[in-house]
Order: sequence, then C-alpha cells, then structure tokens
Amino acid sequence: MTMVQRATAPGRSRKRAGRRGRILALAGVLASLLAGPAAAEGFDWKRYDGQTINLVLTNHPWSNAIRDMAQQFTDKTGIKLRIEILNEDPQRARLNTLLQAKSADIDVYVSLKIREGAVYNKAGWYADIAPMLKDPAQTAPEFRIEDFGAGLIRNETFGGRLTGLPINVEGPLFYWHKDIFAKCNVAVPEYLEDILDAARKIKACDPAINAWAARGVRNAVPYPMAAFVFNSGGGFKSVDGTKPGLCRPESVAGLTLYTDLLKDYGPVGATNHSFPQVVELLGQGKVAMTHESSNEFSNIMKYPGREDDLGVKLLPKGRASGVSQPIGFGWGLSISEYSRRKGPSWTFLQWATSPEVQAVLVDRGVAPSRNSVFAGEGMRAWASQKPVRREWVDAVSEISRRGTGDYASPTDRVPETREIIGRAAQEVVLGQKTPQQAACDADAALLKLQ
Amino acid sequence: MSTIASPAVTAAPDRMRRGQHKISFSWMVWPAVAFVVLMMVFPLVYAAWISLQDASLGTEPRFVGFENYLNLASDPEFLNAFRVTWVLYGVALALQLALGTWLGIVLNGVKVARHLVRTIAITPFMMPPVVVGMMAIVLLDPSVGIVNWLIGTVGVPPLLWLASPHWVLLSVALVDTWQWAPFVGLIVLGGLQSLPASVFEAAEVDGVIGWRRFVYVTLPLLGPTLLTAAVLRSVDLLRFFDLVFIATRGGPGNASTTMNMYAYQQGFEFSRFGHASAAMLTLSAVVLCTVMVFARLRRSLSY
Repeated sequence: MTMVQRATAPGRSRKRAGRRGRILALAGVLASLLAGPAAAEGFDWKRYDGQTINLVLTNHPWSNAIRDMAQQFTDKTGIKLRIEILNEDPQRARLNTLLQAKSADIDVYVSLKIREGAVYNKAGWYADIAPMLKDPAQTAPEFRIEDFGAGLIRNETFGGRLTGLPINVEGPLFYWHKDIFAKCNVAVPEYLEDILDAARKIKACDPAINAWAARGVRNAVPYPMAAFVFNSGGGFKSVDGTKPGLCRPESVAGLTLYTDLLKDYGPVGATNHSFPQVVELLGQGKVAMTHESSNEFSNIMKYPGREDDLGVKLLPKGRASGVSQPIGFGWGLSISEYSRRKGPSWTFLQWATSPEVQAVLVDRGVAPSRNSVFAGEGMRAWASQKPVRREWVDAVSEISRRGTGDYASPTDRVPETREIIGRAAQEVVLGQKTPQQAACDADAALLKLQ
Repeated sequence: MSTIASPAVTAAPDRMRRGQHKISFSWMVWPAVAFVVLMMVFPLVYAAWISLQDASLGTEPRFVGFENYLNLASDPEFLNAFRVTWVLYGVALALQLALGTWLGIVLNGVKVARHLVRTIAITPFMMPPVVVGMMAIVLLDPSVGIVNWLIGTVGVPPLLWLASPHWVLLSVALVDTWQWAPFVGLIVLGGLQSLPASVFEAAEVDGVIGWRRFVYVTLPLLGPTLLTAAVLRSVDLLRFFDLVFIATRGGPGNASTTMNMYAYQQGFEFSRFGHASAAMLTLSAVVLCTVMVFARLRRSLSY
C-alpha cells in the first residue's frame, strides 16, 4: 500500500505540477505582456554602464572613504568615477571657477549648505533632485528618503527644491584626556565655566602639558567657538534676530571664555592653528582638553592609546545660563545644474548614501545621516567595543537631534561673517582688543553685511 | 625684411610685389594676434568690465562705474593689504638681492665639483610653493615646529614666528628668501661670467682689490643684471600669495594679508567678483608701474 502510494503519488504530482507550470507560464506571459512597459522602466543599477562622472570633493573622512570604495560602485553600476579631493577653500575656488562659467566638467560635488547653500542655490548651481527621486525608473526601490534625519533634509532644501543629500552629521565635541585629569586629580567639567578652572589646575599640576587647544585661524574659529557663545546664553544675532549680537553681554562672556582658554592655556601660536594642529597635539597627548569636530574622532583614535585614555561628550552647558546648544549639521552631496550626466550622478548619490555604504563608513568615523544606520546593529556593535566609541555615538546622536548650524549674524554672506567673528577672537587672543571692544567692533562690521 | 623673390615675381611690377609681401606678412602675424587677444586682452577687458559692476554670486550684475575702486580706497582692509604688500616686498627684495649677489659671487669662485654645487644651490627655487609652505609650517610652527624645538635645546624660549603679528612678515620674507635668493644668485652668476676680464685686470694693476673692487668695479658693472633680477622678483613679490595662503592664511589677524590674498578672499571666498576684479586690476597696475620704473632705471644704467 505504501509502496503503491509511493509509486503513484509522484506521478500524479508531476502531472499536477506540469499543469500548474503551464498555467503559471501562461500567467507569466500575460503578466509580462500587460506589465511590459512598467518592467522596462524599472530601476536598473546598470542603466548607465560605461559612463564616467566627475566628482569634486573636500578633504574629509567621507571623501577619502568613498575614494577607497569607488571600485565597488563601478562594479555595481558600470559607472566610472573621476574623483578630485581638495581642501575646503581650493574646492570652493574650483566650484566658483567652473560653475560660474556653467561648465559641465563637474557632475557631483559636496558643499556645506549652512555656509554656502543659500548663495549657491541663488546662483542656480544645484540641480533639483526631487523629480529624479520620485521617478521609479531613476530611484532604487530600497532608497528611502524618510530614513534621513529630518533636520538634515531641511538643510538641503531651498524653496521646495531638494538640492542634495546629507552624507553625515557632525559638530564640535569636548574631548579630554582622562589620564591627565586623573593624574592631576581634576574633575571632568560639568559646566562650561568649569573648563577654565580645570585648565588652571592642569597647568599648575603639569606645566609641560597644554591644558587646552582649539582652532585659532580666523575663519575656522566660529565653528568651535559658537557653542561657547550659545551656552553662555548669548548668540550671533540680537534678541529680536534682526541685527548682529556678538556684543551682547552673554555673547561677550562666551567669547571671553574661548579666547581666555586659547590665550592662557593654549599652545604657543594658537592663532595659526586649525584642526590638523589640534588633532596632532591631542593625538600626541600634549593637550588635556579641546573642542574639536566629531569628524576628527577617527583620526584622533589612530594615535596609540587614545581609544583608552580619551573621553568625549558635548560641550558642557552653562552654569549661569543653563543653556546647552550644540552645533550640528551635515555636508551635502549635490548634482551640478550644468551636468550632462545627471542620471549616472543620481545613481551615485543613491549608492553613496545607501544604508550599506553608510554602515561601512561608520568604521571610518563618519557619523551616518540615516536614522536606520545610527540605530542599526552594526553601529551598536562598533560602539560596544570601547567606552569612548559609545560616548561618541551618544554625543553625535544628540547633535543630530538638537544641533544647529545657524551661527552667523542675519545675512546671506555667511563666509564673511566667519571671517569677521574669527578676527574678533584673534584680536583678543593677541591682546590687541578687549573682548568687549572686539565683539562690538565685529558687530559693527557684521551690520554692514546686512 | 628682405624677401627672396622668384623669377616670376621679379618680372612683376613693384606694386604687385609689395601686395604679395603684405599678404604673407598679415597671415603670419594673425595667429599671434589671435593668441594675444584671446589669452590676454579679452580677460583683461572682461576683468575691467566686471570691476565696474556690482557682481556677486547669486545676484544680477549691476553697473556701478568706479564705485568698487572708491570702496577699495576707503576699505581699511585693502589699505592694510597694500601696506603689507609693500613691506613684504621691500624686506624680501633687499634680502634676496643681497644674498643672491653674495651667492652668485661664491658660485663663481667655486672650482671643485662646480656643477654639483650649482645644482644643489638652485634646488630651493625648483620646489613647488605648496611644499615650501608646508615646510614653513613644519619648521616654524611655534608648538609643533622643529625650529623652536632646536633652539629650545640650547635654552632659547620658543619664538612665535608665523604666529606673531609683529614677526610674521619677516618670517615669510625669510622663507621666500631661502627659496628665491638662489634664483638671483644664478642671474648674478651669469652676469659675472659675462663681465670683461680686462676690467678686473686693470683694477688689480691699479691696486683696487678685495672689498673696494667689489664696490667700485663689480657692483656697477652688475647693475643692469641686478635690475633684471629685481624686475623678475618684483613681479612675483608684489603678487605674493602662495606662501601666506598655505602658512598663515593672511594672519594672525590680517598681519600677512597681501593684496593678492585680499583679492582672492574677496573673489573666491566671499564671491564679490566686482570688488575682487577692482583689487586685482589695482594690483596689476602696481606691478606694471614698478616694472616700468625698473625698466627705465635699467635703460639709464645701460647707456
């Protein structure tokens, strides 16, 4: 019985399977006939196979990582990348030269929307990527724009035009050497005002160590100094938001604290220092504290021992003001309006901001702009390996939630505001003016930009 | 301008010959004219046109006449850049002419391994400015620079070098002199080798030797050569940019912001193209006037 059953059952099932197969095949043919045009328009990563696009990027951990991964993109899409990585200023100069001439030589570039976004948008340099985003033939089904931080997408949007995709989240963080603090028996600053006290104690404990280091170069100063001004209760605008506000007493307090630290506890020649020098000094263990970019985390951790003896968190809030306002924003990846290869460029943007790529970039110290990657298993596993990584993830996560990129006086001419505010700080550090004088003179100059 | 005429042309009337000559001449000169117009005249005229406009990124250009030039004249930043440019120019040119002359004389006297010594001596000015700028940072940074470390080993306190508003120009001038004095030395060497030996022999017979021979014989004879070197260095020094851009960013404060650096910031960082063009054309005029002064001096010395 069993044997017969065994003998007959497969035969029947084969017949049934044959019938089912013919029905399915017929259905398939019908479906393909009915849905033929839609299938032809479906997204295909190889659609632009053989094309080459030109990228102009800034010297940033993200750019360097993408350069290393470029072959993966070419393998997946057939599109070749010609990547040019320049320091920020030369990159801006290059964009100015080529895009002002409406050159098609640049397809994709990065820009800092909080700094130059409004002006570049006014000049018409950004292609609107919203139409491509909505086109299922151009956009991979797994690409989810809602996965990006809402604030970051807002930064990329000008007058309803989506001018790019955020590639990271960043902002300055407070780094400190736990071993130096322990050796000198100094408590980790809980409030902003405590930093000065800690610096004083560390200098008294070990004069060979610089208690503090931070950016002192003119146009680089506002980035790390802004949170000092905000946390002191001040700002870069007047209370009603219509005029410059560096001369407000609370803002002057923030300026004073930043410049006092640099002048009295910073390294010699700090007014010529930007992030490379600060990272070098912190990495070498010659500095006890700094307020430096979250982006530099991976570079700092390359120095032996730093993963074990550094702590990192947001700049402490002001004791008197009770304010904690971190600075936070992201670089944006955009397509040039003058590009003749917008299709392959958009394909690149999707790949470069995909969860898979962002998950890899975490290892290179790039904080992801996608929420799913931030909350993902990969990030958690990476962070769990060292306490300092956990601290960094918490701090950057906080930045992405509460950070602001608005630390200029009310004007579109943001680069000039950076120069003027930075110079005010330098004048104080060099002893040329008091903080009050420098701040009020800066406000007068900033007012002319409105 | 003599032409070798074919027999057919010889037989033709003079008028025809002249016409043929003119046609061939005009064809020959056209590429050069086109090159000059495209590469020099057009950009210059365009820059002049932009300098008369209120042209900034993201705004429609508006004709404002000479307003940009008037703004420059009343802008304390530009006036400071003008001063910085001339101070740097004066210090660096004096150092480079003095050291270059000395180097030229030394190289002229070298008898052993002459080619090797000369090659080593001219190496600095063959280096890219970016490399020199990075070297200046590495060497002169007050905190991480090797120079302060070296002088610290003999008990000298750290100097601020590029970070001092008072010493930054001298520091920059010294770095530039290190790079370009050998260039002046090479020109002087060429000048020395072209001087007639009989003059020096006569001087020696008359008992004019050593320092006196240098002051009263060599230096006057080298006058046109030194002026040529001065013209070449003036053009570079008045347009000083790369070293300050890399090493100081025009700081501290605005202590090393040269006119070229100022124009770069206005144009490329602040996107004020009209204002930047006016600054650049003013700088061009300064360079041109300086070169003309030296050219006139050279002519007066040559006769």
